[in-house]
Amino acid sequence: MKTLRALLRNPQGAAGLALCALVMFAALFGPALAPKDPEAFNFGARFAGPSAEFPLGTDWYGRDLLSRILVGAQSTVLLALLATFIGTAAGALIGVVSGYLGGVVDEILMRLTDALMAIPSLLFALMILAALGSSALNAVLAIGIAFTPGMARIARSVTLQVRSFDYVAAAKARGESLAWIVGAEILPNTIAPVIVEGTIRVAFAIMTLATLSFLGLGAQPPAPEWGLMIAEARDHLFRSPWPVAVPGAAIAIVAIGFNLLGDGLRDVLNPRTGDHA
Amino acid sequence: MTPALSLRDYALHYDTPTGPVRILDGISLDIGRGEVLGLVGESGSAKSSLANAVIRDLPGKVHAEHGTITLAGDDITALPEAELGALRGRRIAMVFQNAATTLDPVQTLGDHLLETLGRHTGLAPAARRDRALELLGMVGLPDPAAMMARYPHEVSGGEKQRVVLALAFGCEPELILFDEPTSALDATTAATLLDLFRDLQARTGVSALFISHDLGTVAEIAHRVAVIYGGRIVEEGPTEAIFAGPKHPYTQALLASLPRPSDRLEGRGLATSGARPAPRRGEMPPCLFSASCPHHDPSVCDVQRVHPSHVEDRQIACARVARGETLPAPQAPAPLQSPRGETALLEARGLSVTYGRTALVDRLRGRATPQVRAVRDVSFRLNRGETLALVGESGCGKSSLARALSGLQGFTGETMLAGTPTAPDSAAWRARVQTIFQNPDSSLNPRHTLATILGRPLKLFRPEVDRPAEIARLLERVHLPADYATRYPHQLSGGEKQRVAIARALAAEPDVIICDEITSGLDAAVQAAIVRLLREIQATTGAALVFITHDLGILRHIADRLAVMYLGEMVETCEIAALDAAPWHPYTEALLSSSHSVDPGSDTRRVRLQGSLPKRTEDVSGCPFASRCPRHIGPDCDSSRPPLRAPEPGHDILCHLSDAALNAVPPIWQFKTSDTTRTTQ
Repeated sequence: MKTLRALLRNPQGAAGLALCALVMFAALFGPALAPKDPEAFNFGARFAGPSAEFPLGTDWYGRDLLSRILVGAQSTVLLALLATFIGTAAGALIGVVSGYLGGVVDEILMRLTDALMAIPSLLFALMILAALGSSALNAVLAIGIAFTPGMARIARSVTLQVRSFDYVAAAKARGESLAWIVGAEILPNTIAPVIVEGTIRVAFAIMTLATLSFLGLGAQPPAPEWGLMIAEARDHLFRSPWPVAVPGAAIAIVAIGFNLLGDGLRDVLNPRTGDHA
Repeated sequence: MTPALSLRDYALHYDTPTGPVRILDGISLDIGRGEVLGLVGESGSAKSSLANAVIRDLPGKVHAEHGTITLAGDDITALPEAELGALRGRRIAMVFQNAATTLDPVQTLGDHLLETLGRHTGLAPAARRDRALELLGMVGLPDPAAMMARYPHEVSGGEKQRVVLALAFGCEPELILFDEPTSALDATTAATLLDLFRDLQARTGVSALFISHDLGTVAEIAHRVAVIYGGRIVEEGPTEAIFAGPKHPYTQALLASLPRPSDRLEGRGLATSGARPAPRRGEMPPCLFSASCPHHDPSVCDVQRVHPSHVEDRQIACARVARGETLPAPQAPAPLQSPRGETALLEARGLSVTYGRTALVDRLRGRATPQVRAVRDVSFRLNRGETLALVGESGCGKSSLARALSGLQGFTGETMLAGTPTAPDSAAWRARVQTIFQNPDSSLNPRHTLATILGRPLKLFRPEVDRPAEIARLLERVHLPADYATRYPHQLSGGEKQRVAIARALAAEPDVIICDEITSGLDAAVQAAIVRLLREIQATTGAALVFITHDLGILRHIADRLAVMYLGEMVETCEIAALDAAPWHPYTEALLSSSHSVDPGSDTRRVRLQGSLPKRTEDVSGCPFASRCPRHIGPDCDSSRPPLRAPEPGHDILCHLSDAALNAVPPIWQFKTSDTTRTTQ
């Protein structure tokens, strides 16, 4: 609650929060809000510009772009959040365990993540998709795995600071289990920077997901997934800009929203720039 | 003659997100030319903010600022930044607490001096260099030319602080501000540095504001002393007069909670009636101290705002003293006896802690990697209900020993619990030996409530008890209200946090509690209260304590036995009573002499250490203290290990000096009691 109030006082945080709330609203209630059937063809109104009937125009089959964006928000945004969550949770756990245990375990885990980080995350996701086959859920998994090494690095560096605190020594001295030390003593204290990094990565996830769909490796037509919408519309770019511009703008709004939210959270959760007395 | 520095009715308020906060107000102070004014106060009294205000470098967002600060007649409160730049370093210099962060790690020590001299003096480069060399020589650094080329990390902490001192004196300023300059240093180093400053001050006649929480240090150096509480000066006057006869109730309480060397002889206890933090926001009470004052009388004290008024030899902000009343100093409770037993509980034999492992490259080349031997072959015995104090300066291995005994650090040697060999990382040891760490800010997890913090050891060691009831009982045991269980550590004050850490150790109902510097970060009254609490706990539970500290003053109030450590070795073990008179190990002697205390009734003989510590990785063939020993007797000290001498039963000294020579050392303190002058020999 305190974080939320502090976030609202922070200009970036407030803007990010508003944009993200808008996007989440669309993602949750999109299908109910959509004025038309997103897959209904209107051959009389192909490539229409924005009008009262089609507020954001139509595509080459005359499908209502607003309805497609609202319905597509669900798969695009929720899948991106899921992908980020997978990457963040797995990365945080690996990073904290690796940072806490140190020594050989740390060395092995970190060299592995270094190797994975050397591959660009898009290429890495492509590789995983090539192995798993193309589907929306596999794309999510691929992005989640591709994000893991970066998150592990961040969680590890925070853990190295937290590990030196005496409450960890105190837990060790009273003979606590590894699960308690990692889960209850260290993890809660590393969570703030990890959450911040996670929100910033939501934007990356959306863009990577859109890229994968664009390449035909994620969602399959006629699903109104935003990346796929752009991929399909590019053949018709010179007939009408709207089928490319509208999903493009939607992706940009989500990316900016989560980026701002991440920046705001970083400021608010940092005790030095947060509300110090 | 105009004073060097003069503050008139100075007030400072900072803006924070939760509203304006009063930092300083009603400050009127004068520092005469060639005078050293000591400013003492507890943590949070805004003493450092006063230094920041004088050097015009305010770290906060200023809400309001009133009054004037004049430097030799020039008002500097309203000077623009450009003129302040010319002022700082040349007319006002500052010496900060931590020399390690004051010096730039990528510049040589010489560059620091040359830069300051170049900026503020018109000297030619060659003359600048000569002056820099002269300054380094002046602060007692050997081989100034070599020092010029060194980087900060290549010299010791004491040497760094000497360079900072040289920087401060470099442009012959009118005023030097010292902000806790010796607090981060070891006692023996701090004592030599303080001597150096006193000497330099006398030679150059510079004025100084000397800020410290340590009244003993201020008593050594200041001509006049001002006591600050909650951003207001409560008492100001000549140093001897204030420390010998404090009149303000706050100063009285402060001094009554400080340990003195004569405490054990006179059976003096420490007052635990500390002052609560002064209000900082909203309407101020007429007297800031009224909430904590034992002599508060609403009909006198609450009539109008209490301003400092002149009473005899001093300025004092107390309405009752201003009316001519003499307020009695707080009575300290008599010290509690420890429940000391005769049977051994914890024993360590030949315990050594070594850091560093053989590097692969060295192993391949068949060469030994230099290793740090933090603790060397230490043996000791702790009886039931006894308190053993481990004393030494930083790097002496006392914390490594504590970590080894807590099962956090591997070691070689043998440990026994009640006669049975037991390893510190075994369950049996953990259930009976608990550790309290130095800093409660880092030893209590900020994300856990006190109920979780206290509940964990109960779950692990006493799963059968009713946990909520036991947590309430534990909190009560350390004098905290039971409803604190739902609070988080950050909602507590420093002293309260340390009480929680003590409660956590008690939760396991241990036989031994290892206290690793647990009172170091605390104000004197809080320290006195914690020490008294530990004694109370010992009286009811019969627990034995290993009390690790670098502060010798507090020992007389907690310890039964004492072990002095130097470079990983126990150079002396003795009864606490034996500390008051010879024989001492030469290092103990220097340590005792270096610890300053406010004791108007005693004189301390000066023993100062010269020379440098050997490298930690070096294997010293002779006595580890030989390089700094003031009682060095010849080549034996450097070449052969000192024998263990026992000048009296239960008193061991690791030294080449003979028993007779050790016994012949003159006393460190001359205690003057009211009736006769008594020496302890």
